[in-house]
Amino acid sequence: MKFKDYYEILGVPRTATQDDVKQAYRKLARKFHPDVSKAPDAEERFKELGEAYAVLKDSEKRAAYDQMGSEWKTGQDFQPPPDWGAGFEFNGSDTGMGSGSDHSDFFEALFGRQARGRQQPHMQGQDHHAKMMIDLADAYRGAKRSISLRMPAYDAQGHVTTQERKLDVSIPKGIRAGQHLRLSGQGGPGFGAGPAGDLFLEIAFNPDLQFRADGRDVYMDLPLAPWEAALGASITTPTPEGPVQLTIPPGSIAGRKLRLKGRGIPGSPPGDLYVVMTIALPPANSDQTREAYQAMAKAFDFNPRELQKG
Amino acid sequence: MIENEMTFLQGDVVEEEVQLTIVELCQACNAEIDHVMIWVVEGILAPQGETPRDWLFSGDSLRRARLAQRLSRDLEINPPGVALALDLLDEIATLRAQLQCAGISEVRVEASKIQ
Repeated sequence: MKFKDYYEILGVPRTATQDDVKQAYRKLARKFHPDVSKAPDAEERFKELGEAYAVLKDSEKRAAYDQMGSEWKTGQDFQPPPDWGAGFEFNGSDTGMGSGSDHSDFFEALFGRQARGRQQPHMQGQDHHAKMMIDLADAYRGAKRSISLRMPAYDAQGHVTTQERKLDVSIPKGIRAGQHLRLSGQGGPGFGAGPAGDLFLEIAFNPDLQFRADGRDVYMDLPLAPWEAALGASITTPTPEGPVQLTIPPGSIAGRKLRLKGRGIPGSPPGDLYVVMTIALPPANSDQTREAYQAMAKAFDFNPRELQKG
Repeated sequence: MIENEMTFLQGDVVEEEVQLTIVELCQACNAEIDHVMIWVVEGILAPQGETPRDWLFSGDSLRRARLAQRLSRDLEINPPGVALALDLLDEIATLRAQLQCAGISEVRVEASKIQ
């Protein structure tokens, strides 16, 4: 187990007041909150911050943590001293930010022994949430998928362990990114005779090079040769539902969209599929093609920078 | 024979098929009833029905309520601040979607390089 320097994580000296700690936490938390930040390591950083704050804002936990001395450095191998926690009474009211289930081993070893809150008899189990990645094609056709979820569970001593659980889930046709699928009774187990909680799966699409979904509408790029755009063409293009024949009107320009009504994600009403036209330039890499470009230059009285000044 | 057959769980699409009472919403996002009532007053959530007892929240409320819960718990923001943050996050999401539809998802990468 690696030591964590909670002061270093919050960027405050060991002499910081409770107000300093709070201020430092808030500032960093706003920066790294996963709902706000798009930094790739935001979730990891935020977890660390929450854990550091949970310890340093609590005078009992902070005093106990301080007692280990200031010689420890982040990343050093660490075992809690045998007399750890002696003489301290943790009230156990607050295991800190987050669900309390995603703390590091280090935190769990030091503070994880507290009672996990009184359990009321016959209480409904907790609702659980998880994210589920699916392909856009699954939303078009519906699908059956097996997923494995890691659920935190408490052992007899109140320590957190992770349990792997496999679920076979039907993905309804027409589901969109950001929507939630509720599976009744698949959440946390109930207490006493209470029923189990529900499991909510938040749907997200796997990144797709070809198609981009926005709600129920789907967008795709369609590269055209300059002559196809200028003269019009009839071409075959892939769509999530299979290839279709498209008529490109003459005089098409890059960025213009063709709407294929009802060919977005199915539903009532279904979404639309937008084909965004782009122009691809053929390379001039032979005598013949260079001559073709030269012939074009001669044939056109064309200044693409006509509107530029200066 | 039957043991070998896999049973696939059928779920409800919350945003389309589900309405939640205040108790169900609190349970689903692990929030306290008092907080949800304040969020309604602040306009973060807009249930149907006259009194809290009759309130029915649309499925979309789940996402907003979870976000409100995380922001107020993790960042210690007060309810008007949560309302503002939610509005701004929605606006950012709309702008991002517009960029994505225009095929300009690289903007973010370039912007972060500049920093």
